[in-house]
Amino acid sequence: MDISEQLGSATTQDEVEPFLELAPELVQKRRSQGRIIWDRFIRNRAAVVGAAALLVLVLFCFVGPYIWTLNPDSLNALSATSTLANPTLAHPLGTDDVGRDTLARAMYGGRVSLLVGFISMLMAIVFGIGIGSFAGYYGGAVDNILMRFTDIVLAVPLYLLLFVLSAAFVDGTPKSVIFLIAILTWTYAARLVRGEFLALKEREFVMASRTIGAGNFRLMFRHILPNAAGPIIVNATLLIGTNIILESVLSYFGFGIQPPTSSWGSMIATGESFFDVDPFLVFVPGLLIFFTVLSFNLVGDGLRDALDPQMTER
Amino acid sequence: MGRYIIRRLLQAIPLLFLVTIFMFTLIHLIPGGADQVIFNPHLSAAGRAALRARFGLDQPVPIQYLKWLGNALTGNFSFSFGTNQPVGDILKQRFPATLQLFVPALALALVIAVLLGVISALRHGTATDYTLTTLAYIGICMPIFLLGLFAQEIFGVWLHWFPTSGTSNYATNIDPVSAFVDHIQHLILPMLVLAISFVGGWSRYMRSSMIDVVKQDYIRTGRAKGVSTSALMVRHALRNAVIPLITIVALDFGAVAGGATITEGIFAWPGLGLLFFQSLAIRDYPVLMAELLLGAVFVIAFNLIADILYAVMDPRIRYS
Repeated sequence: MDISEQLGSATTQDEVEPFLELAPELVQKRRSQGRIIWDRFIRNRAAVVGAAALLVLVLFCFVGPYIWTLNPDSLNALSATSTLANPTLAHPLGTDDVGRDTLARAMYGGRVSLLVGFISMLMAIVFGIGIGSFAGYYGGAVDNILMRFTDIVLAVPLYLLLFVLSAAFVDGTPKSVIFLIAILTWTYAARLVRGEFLALKEREFVMASRTIGAGNFRLMFRHILPNAAGPIIVNATLLIGTNIILESVLSYFGFGIQPPTSSWGSMIATGESFFDVDPFLVFVPGLLIFFTVLSFNLVGDGLRDALDPQMTER
Repeated sequence: MGRYIIRRLLQAIPLLFLVTIFMFTLIHLIPGGADQVIFNPHLSAAGRAALRARFGLDQPVPIQYLKWLGNALTGNFSFSFGTNQPVGDILKQRFPATLQLFVPALALALVIAVLLGVISALRHGTATDYTLTTLAYIGICMPIFLLGLFAQEIFGVWLHWFPTSGTSNYATNIDPVSAFVDHIQHLILPMLVLAISFVGGWSRYMRSSMIDVVKQDYIRTGRAKGVSTSALMVRHALRNAVIPLITIVALDFGAVAGGATITEGIFAWPGLGLLFFQSLAIRDYPVLMAELLLGAVFVIAFNLIADILYAVMDPRIRYS
């Protein structure tokens, strides 16, 4: 039947399956888009494991200190047995060279690392969306200038630029490290968003909205951007992992978080000299970084598969 | 094709100019300029002023930039503030060490990544696939310095298989053969660490690329026509699947001037990365600028090479 007949009929569903209401068990309730994505995500076991691990890690870092109430900064360097100690009941992960409890330090350091990773990701994504959306939507000269700007930032090798900028701007507080990482990692998101916008702005729904009078900003952020959200979300999740690694590299080389604040990276830096005597000082923060980034990667890959519109629905 | 290359080259030159301006501004924003770090703290004010004039630090930054640019265009990158050596010589001295580390690491990583990716793709969904994917994730998610630390500890300190830093043991410099062997022994650990950091991402990319290619119709046609599986996989699937990976490798190779920075820092390998750390510490502007410029030149050049390679290997791109 052609369009006019279809539009005329009240329920298209009945036209295709006229006796469906007589067999209710055959009716498949139409799932919402969010439900479809959720179901696909749940079926990916690795992604679910990653998400669970993330939950445990976040609880460990943010709720843990209320349960394990030792002060991570309380020095206890008076006796030889209280420094560089092996795990005991009082200090399940041992102590470091000045007697601080490693478990408490891991929790507080985790707060810093996770927050730095997350907030720098948010800033990078916002900035990337800003630049990418304008470049993709307006095209032409605006696109040229913005992409040139992106190319300039990308032309310098990342680690060189990272260290130079950290020497210039970072004063050891998490805030400056967040800014630094954000201004170096927005470029991929910008390119991604630009590509999505270039593709989506030619679609009919954009033309339709424009016809009824939607302005540019409204089109960009109320119509096109939500449709581009899939890849952006995937990129954001993976970006948190990258940012956590970048922050740990910075802190390890002494360019990032400075004492008294400590993050997992700076814990590795201070613990490195005692690796032979007390490997826990390196293994605890190191493996925490590894599992955090791994979990973010698993979740990001799971989201990518769940949000992929080209995957055939099984 | 020729016109495409020329056009890209012409676009790259203004980009390079803009990058140099960007970098010059950046390093001059670093607090504690060269005079505070290098000059003798007991210098009188007049002496300090004279030294600043000698290093050209008393002029406004834009003038300094123009002077630097004029010199750079003729190939003169001035002298290092710290060691007074001509910067060009310093770079020429250090660059081979970085190349020695980087090229074998990337070559090894490419071979391993292709192997792992293909095996993973062909055994898609089986236990082998999961094991290899897990290994790849370890490469991606472990920070490089941690890998380096663990490698140093395990292979250097516990097993005593390889030395943990430097390029050579002076005691073995007596005859060329043992010096060479000793050099290789020092090279292996940092090279492996660098290779592992690349293998993770590349093998995943190869795996997904191979999976996409194997689903294609021409593979099915080949099987229908009776081509053996191995010939099909190697001559048809692999060849097509490797194309996107090669462009990624070319792009990653562009980081040669700065990509091994962390590895060199951990293993004290005297290449450009270590030079970078040292000059950053003493705010040695000429060396920093020259190194950043070299890095940017390589990145831009290899971006171009990656695009050209892609067009060469995939004829569909050429005609679009």
